[in-house]
Amino acid sequence: MDFTENEEHVALRVAVAAICDDFGAEYYQSHAESRTPTTELWRALGDHGYIGINLPEQYGGGGAGLVELTMVCQESAARGTPLLLLLVSSAISGEVIATYGTQSQRERWLPKLASGESKIVFAITEPSAGSNTHRLSTFAHRVGDRDSWSISGEKYYISGVDEADAILVVARTSPPNEKARLSLFIVDSDAPGLSKIPLPVSVTLPERQFTLHFDNVKVSADRLVGTEGDGFKQVFQGLNPERITGAGLCVGIGRYCLERAAQYANVRVVWDTPIGAHQGVSHALAKAKIEVELAALMTTKAAWLHDNHLPAGEAANMAKYAAAEAALSAIDAAIQTHGGNGLATEYGLVPYWGLARLLRIAPVNREMILNFVAQHSLGLPRSY
Amino acid sequence: MKIAVCVKQIPDPAAPAKMDANYNLARDTKLIMDESDSYGVEMALQLVDKAGAGEVVLFSMAPGEEVSGLRNALAMGAHRAVLISDPRLAGSDALSTAKVLAKAIGRESFDLVLAATESSDGYTGTTPVQIAELLDLPSVTFAKGIEVKGESLIVARQTEAGFDEIEVPTPALVTVTAGVVEPRYPNFKGIMAAKSKPVEKLSIDDLAFSPDSVGASGARETITSIRPAESRGAGTVVVDEGDGFAKIIEYLESLKVI
Ligand SMILES: Cc1cc2nc3c(=O)[nH]c(=O)nc-3n(C[C@H](O)[C@H](O)[C@H](O)COP(=O)(O)OP(=O)(O)OC[C@H]3O[C@@H](n4cnc5c(N)ncnc54)[C@H](O)[C@@H]3O)c2cc1C
Repeated sequence: MDFTENEEHVALRVAVAAICDDFGAEYYQSHAESRTPTTELWRALGDHGYIGINLPEQYGGGGAGLVELTMVCQESAARGTPLLLLLVSSAISGEVIATYGTQSQRERWLPKLASGESKIVFAITEPSAGSNTHRLSTFAHRVGDRDSWSISGEKYYISGVDEADAILVVARTSPPNEKARLSLFIVDSDAPGLSKIPLPVSVTLPERQFTLHFDNVKVSADRLVGTEGDGFKQVFQGLNPERITGAGLCVGIGRYCLERAAQYANVRVVWDTPIGAHQGVSHALAKAKIEVELAALMTTKAAWLHDNHLPAGEAANMAKYAAAEAALSAIDAAIQTHGGNGLATEYGLVPYWGLARLLRIAPVNREMILNFVAQHSLGLPRSY
Repeated sequence: MKIAVCVKQIPDPAAPAKMDANYNLARDTKLIMDESDSYGVEMALQLVDKAGAGEVVLFSMAPGEEVSGLRNALAMGAHRAVLISDPRLAGSDALSTAKVLAKAIGRESFDLVLAATESSDGYTGTTPVQIAELLDLPSVTFAKGIEVKGESLIVARQTEAGFDEIEVPTPALVTVTAGVVEPRYPNFKGIMAAKSKPVEKLSIDDLAFSPDSVGASGARETITSIRPAESRGAGTVVVDEGDGFAKIIEYLESLKVI
C-alpha cells in the first residue's frame, strides 16, 4: 500500500494550478455571473495536454487515465476555476468513444477533444424519464437503405451545447412497447432537425443548459458508437468516469472554499481575536475539511479501480455522494465565515455554492446513490 | 546550438526559512527549482528552437541528490541534466559553488552558459561571473534579451538608464533577469518524458576536487552573524474625502517623485 503521490502527479498538479492561476478565481466568478463559457482556460489547459490527459496517445491524448483526469478536475477547481464540461467531454464522451468507437470515429473525434479544440457534450436526461433511464423515449430507427438513422425525441438540461461541435446522444433503439435497448449516437450540434432552446437555471454557471428537440434528425451509420442496443453497458463505461470526475471537482471546490475561509477567518477581527479563534467558526471549517479529505480518498480509489479495470461502481457512487456533500458543507461554512461578505458578488463565493448544489443533483442525484448503496452494498430490497 | 543552464534548487521560498548553527540556510527540506532560473531555461529552449537544432543541458549543485527542481526544467523541455551532490559540499560559498559548476560545465563545450542574475535564496549575484572567469569566458550580466548573430550574441543589457546593446562572441556566459521571457508551463507529455531523461550524478571525486578545496573547509567567506531584516514601518493611509487625488499628489511631491 502506498499513498504517496508520485513526482509526475505532483508536477501535474503544480502545472495545472499555475495555468489556472493565470486566469484566477475572479475569471471564473465573473464568467459564471455573466454565463459566458470559460473557453480561454479550456484552451490553455488543452494546449498543455491536460484536457485530453485520459485519452489514448495515438489520438493526441496524454495516454494517462482517470486518476490523472480527476486530478485535473480537482486542481482546477481548487484554484477557483472549476470546469464542469470535463465531466462530459473528457470523461464520458472521451472514454466512450475511446472504448467503443471504431478506428475512424476515434481518428475523427478524439484528437480535437484531446487538444481542447472541440467538445462533445452528453445528452441522456429527458423530461419524462429523469433518473429512470429505462424510460428514455428518444427513439432512433434505421432509414434509407438502413445505412442511416433518424432520431426523434426530447432531452433537457443538456450542458454546453452552445460550446460543442457534437452531442453524444443516448437513444432507445427498441420499439416503445419492448424493453428499452439503448444505443449511442454522435450528433452534430448544428444537425438539421435539431432545435436547441436555452433552459435558464438560477445557479450561476459559465456553462449553459438547453432543451433539445430532435425532429427526425438524420445521422449516418458511422455516427452509431459501439454496438446497436448495447447502450446501457456502454453508457456505464462513461458514467463511472463522470461520477468520479464530478467527485474530483467537488473535492476541489471544497478545498478552494476552505482555503478562502481560513484566510478570511485569520484576518477578520470583530471582537479581540480573529474570528477563526471562535470554535463556532473553526469547527465548522474543520469538520468540512475532514469531509472533503475523506471524499478525496474515496475519489482517488474509485479512479484507480476504474483505471485498473476493476469494478468501480460502488466506489464511484460513494465518492460522488461524499464529495458533493463535503463541497456543500465547505461552501456553506465558508459563506457563513464571511458573514455578509459571503453573499457579496465581490467575494465570489456564491457561484461555487451553485455548482456544488447542482452536483448533489447531477450527474446522478444523492437519493439514487443511496438507493444503489442500500441495494448493492447492503443487500436491502429495491424500493422503486 | 548547445547551451548549459545553471539551475539552483532551493527550499520553497513560501515556507519559513531555517538556518543551521553556521548561519547557513538549512537545505534538508524538499527543494524546488529557483524561479529565477526558469527564465534561463526558457531562454535556452527558445534559442535552441530558433537555431533549429541543439541541446539544453542543466547543471545543478544540490544536497541529497535532489532532482525535483531539475525534473521540472526537464519537463519544460531541457534535454538532460548534470547534478553535483556530495555531503562534502555542505557549507560551500559562492566561489566554491562556481568552481564546482565550472568544472562540471567545462567537461563539455557549450556555445552559451546561461544563469540567473542572482538566486532567490542567497542573493549574492556573484556565482555566474565567477564561473565565467574560471572557464575563461566573456560574460554579460542583466540580459533582457539575447539574439544569435552568426558566431556572436547580441545581448540587450538592462542598465539604470535603459539598455546597452552588447555584442559578445560565443562561447559566452550570460545572466538573465526575471521577465526576459515568459517561462512555459510543463505540458503533460513533457512531465512524462522528464521521467526518462538522463540525470548524470557527480561527486567531488568525479570532478577531481580535494575535499578541503570546496565545501565549508574550502570556503573563503564565513557568515559571522545574521539579524532579521528591519520590518517596514506602517504605511500611510490616505482617507479619500473627495480630495484623495490631491493628497496622493502631495505625498508623491513630498517624496520628490513628481
Ligand atoms: C445545471 C444542470 C446541468 C445538467 N447537465 C446535464 C447534461 O449535460 N446532460 C444530461 O444528460 N443531463 C444533465 N442534467 C440533468 C441531471 O443529470 C438530472 O437533473 C439528474 O440526473 C436528475 O434527474 P431529474 O432532474 O429528472 O430528476 P428526477 O428523476 O425527476 O428526480 C427528482 C428527485 O426525486 C428523487 N428521486 C428520484 N428517483 C428516486 C428514487 N428511486 N428513490 C428516491 N428518490 C428518488 C431525487 O431526490 C431526485 O432529486 C443537468 C441538470 C442540471 C440542473
